[in-house]
Amino acid sequence: MKRLFKLLLATIMVLSMAACSSNEPNTGNNTPDEPEDLYVIDTTSFDDLVAKAQEEGGPIRIYSTHSSVEKGAALFTAKYGIEVEFTQIGDAEMIEKVANEVRAGVEGGVDLIFVQDGARLKNELLDTGYVVNYVNERIAAMLPEEDLFPLVFQYCSKVFIYNSENQDGSRWENIWAVTDPANYGLFQMKDTGSEGVNANFFTMLLKEENIQKLEEAYKDYYGTDLVLTEENAAYEWIKLAYQNGLILGTSDTKICEAVGAAGQNQDFIGLFTLNKYAKKDEKGLILEIADDMNPIAGFFYPIYGLISAKAEHPYGAQALLEYLYTPEGWAPWTSRVGDYSANTENAPAKGDKTIAEWSKVLVREDAAFVAEHRAEMEDFIQSIAQ
Amino acid sequence: MKRKINHLLAFLKKPQNLILLFFVVTLGYLVLFPLVCIVKDTFVVHASEVMRVKGSKIGDFTTYHWVKVFADKNSATIFYTPLFNTMKVALGACFVAISFGGSFAWLVTRTDLRWKGILTKLFMFPYIMPSWTLALAWMNFFKNSTVGGAQGIFTALTGIVTPNWFAYGGFPITMVIGLHYAPFAYILIGGILRNMDANLEEAAIILKTKRSRMFMEITIPMVMPAVLSTFILVFSSAMSAFAVPQFLGLPVRYYVLTTQMFRNLNGTNPGYGYIIALVMILIALIIMFVNQAVIGKRKSYTTVTGKSANISQFKLKKFRTPISSLFLVLVLCVSVIPMISFLLQSMIKIQGNYSPSNFTLDFWIGAAAASDKINDKAGILINADVWKGLFNSLKLSIVAALGAGTFGFLAGYAIVKQRGTWLSRFVENLTFIPYLIPSMAFSVIYLSMFAVRHGPIPALYGSFAILAIIGTVKYLPMASRSGVNSMLQLSHEIEEAAMIVGVPWWKRMTQIIVPIQKSTVISGYLLPFISSMRELSLYVLLVTPANKVLTTILFQYNEKGWDQYANAINFVIIVFVLVINFGIERLTGASIEKGVGG
Repeated sequence: MKRLFKLLLATIMVLSMAACSSNEPNTGNNTPDEPEDLYVIDTTSFDDLVAKAQEEGGPIRIYSTHSSVEKGAALFTAKYGIEVEFTQIGDAEMIEKVANEVRAGVEGGVDLIFVQDGARLKNELLDTGYVVNYVNERIAAMLPEEDLFPLVFQYCSKVFIYNSENQDGSRWENIWAVTDPANYGLFQMKDTGSEGVNANFFTMLLKEENIQKLEEAYKDYYGTDLVLTEENAAYEWIKLAYQNGLILGTSDTKICEAVGAAGQNQDFIGLFTLNKYAKKDEKGLILEIADDMNPIAGFFYPIYGLISAKAEHPYGAQALLEYLYTPEGWAPWTSRVGDYSANTENAPAKGDKTIAEWSKVLVREDAAFVAEHRAEMEDFIQSIAQ
Repeated sequence: MKRKINHLLAFLKKPQNLILLFFVVTLGYLVLFPLVCIVKDTFVVHASEVMRVKGSKIGDFTTYHWVKVFADKNSATIFYTPLFNTMKVALGACFVAISFGGSFAWLVTRTDLRWKGILTKLFMFPYIMPSWTLALAWMNFFKNSTVGGAQGIFTALTGIVTPNWFAYGGFPITMVIGLHYAPFAYILIGGILRNMDANLEEAAIILKTKRSRMFMEITIPMVMPAVLSTFILVFSSAMSAFAVPQFLGLPVRYYVLTTQMFRNLNGTNPGYGYIIALVMILIALIIMFVNQAVIGKRKSYTTVTGKSANISQFKLKKFRTPISSLFLVLVLCVSVIPMISFLLQSMIKIQGNYSPSNFTLDFWIGAAAASDKINDKAGILINADVWKGLFNSLKLSIVAALGAGTFGFLAGYAIVKQRGTWLSRFVENLTFIPYLIPSMAFSVIYLSMFAVRHGPIPALYGSFAILAIIGTVKYLPMASRSGVNSMLQLSHEIEEAAMIVGVPWWKRMTQIIVPIQKSTVISGYLLPFISSMRELSLYVLLVTPANKVLTTILFQYNEKGWDQYANAINFVIIVFVLVINFGIERLTGASIEKGVGG
């Protein structure tokens, strides 16, 4: 009997090992070197795309980190009669899920994704070939070339915003102010461990030009040169901000409400998405944008629009993606401050600046750079986080 | 040779042996296999780690993660400090749960406490609520100005500003988890106090033993096994709690192993995450084996004897009303008051403003407004997504409960029947292991295990089946434990009598064993059902749009800070579970208490 049991156990173990080992993608690191290998420009007309999409039927399945896509997709459904199934899901879970869906080739998997966090996207979905960077003639005409790979659908901005009940903006004119012991415990932002774009912002600070800007700003603020205790000014700023009582949150909405609530005796400042700022009056929050913050007033990051390598409705996904770039498809966003279409024909919401203007004071997330350096930044944050 | 074959045939003729073999094979695949996978994942370079581990390819063997986690200059922040925090929180939660739940159990079973009926019902509430919502309630009440925003209700009412250690970090995490699991202590310890053989105390009284000595030398030793059982359940649950430390610890950067694991699985180094998961499983295993070594021989302590059950009740006398009132207030604080706060928060537009003009039902029944408004989603009662989520939650919880309850009962039957054999012991441990694997790690492994076809087992990812399987396996320990306990109380003669007259196994089960154990069987379904209704981390990675459940919607809303909708959904979940729980209790006489206590 014991022998039978041992045999069973051995079989299970062997099965397990075999099964375990087939889990890893075997595509490996196959990033093509030449840009023309990254994507091809499709020449099918939009009407043909729609016709083929109608033939393949619905529902087109979407995963998105942001909810507005649902409203844009509803317009598409109303016009062309193709059903859309929308799911809002966080970036980390989405990347994990899409990788597994494509690897498994499951039925009912996603067709079109709108995802942020360029670092993980590049390493885990693009380099592995799990998603396709679809571009057609019309999309290529609407977008600047640097937005074509990975294909940027829109930008989101996170900027320094402060409670202006008891003060004007003069306190927040230099980024080193949040590390100043006089401002202890006033700075809030979302945890880098719970949303990748924040870690990407820190990672972008490691770029040489930003390090230099930080050094100069330090001198502006204190009048003396920065004495490094870490490798460079970016690490130094992050470490001092953490040591100065940085408050981490899980939600930009909550941080916005915490910073802006009326009747507080602390003059908080937060780094959060600008589109939360838009609801301030309705919520009774007292907030101002610190756009004089020198040298960096925040950051903006792309939300990429990509198609699953195993999409069941590829034409539907292609047609829908293109539709959302058009002014008609973009309509649900037009009143949203802080969201910017990659198609520059779509003007920003009333009272907001264009992304070109913002990019003078904000740091732009660069997928290739963050993909390469994100790990170093994560290690660093982990070493100072407690 | 022939003798061996005969042996084998005789062995296979007993249904209980077939059941045990069935569990060895299925749990081998569904429990041991994931464990092997976790071990393997700690030695592998994952897609996101290629940049980190210099010069490696995906799938390469590496010891990088082990070195970094245990023996690097940053190991303290990556691993040791969170480990230390986890130990503090888990032990503290055990202390809170056992002292609060235990003293409540003693008061209910052995004294003339007032309002017992209502108190015992309300005492179950914290267990029924999703644990993180209790954390949010704590924040609503006690938050101070450290993180800004509207002030907490406590400060608003009393003017007292709560100190930081009270509002965030280790202390509130310990309290919330402890309160969430206090019902375990009440159920397990109360079960023993209720069924205790009164002869022991009577003998002591005849010998004129002092009350205090009786308590120390009879009552305490009697409840010790239950205290230890509670300790294990609460400790391993507290250790794998994720959402509570995430909400209460993050603002002051207080990390425990689960939040650290989440960061790593979510970030670019899942390898660390798997090591942390493995360490957590090992700690839980060690505690389980120590427990078995300590109380192993005394397993069948609650045997129903039918002897004098007339336990003497301790009179609280002049303390009766004060103590009863104190407990009423305490229990209300963890049951009804959070419920009221959820309802209230779901109806106010601007936080912290309780004037009548600020009240609205938009978040319940209003149509979706434009996307730059607060109420940019449809009210939850007219939101198709919420209804779908509720339907899926119910479907999944019913299936998982049927699975866990049925298999758990069968496992209990077979384990007790073959008690003393190595096979029975092996299966008993095997059925308990899912309890020790942190939900998050469990689901990550299932995700990759069922993403591709393995021989005859199809790729189940994206199907309802994978959710049903993981729910069944994860909650099997609850049902199998109560199955084992209840089968231990059933004398062998009953089934033997039927065997002698040639009643087949199937009939013996359906017409003798199950009817006798009816209320335990139903309770064995109830506990997994409730746990599954409020489960989050087990399902969050495995759901797809077609089968998303209500808690995943709720957690997302909580994280995003859409408080009003989230509070409304939370209220709906709790009310649903309460109605079903008390409905079943009324109809069948079963209850969660019996599910845990056996």
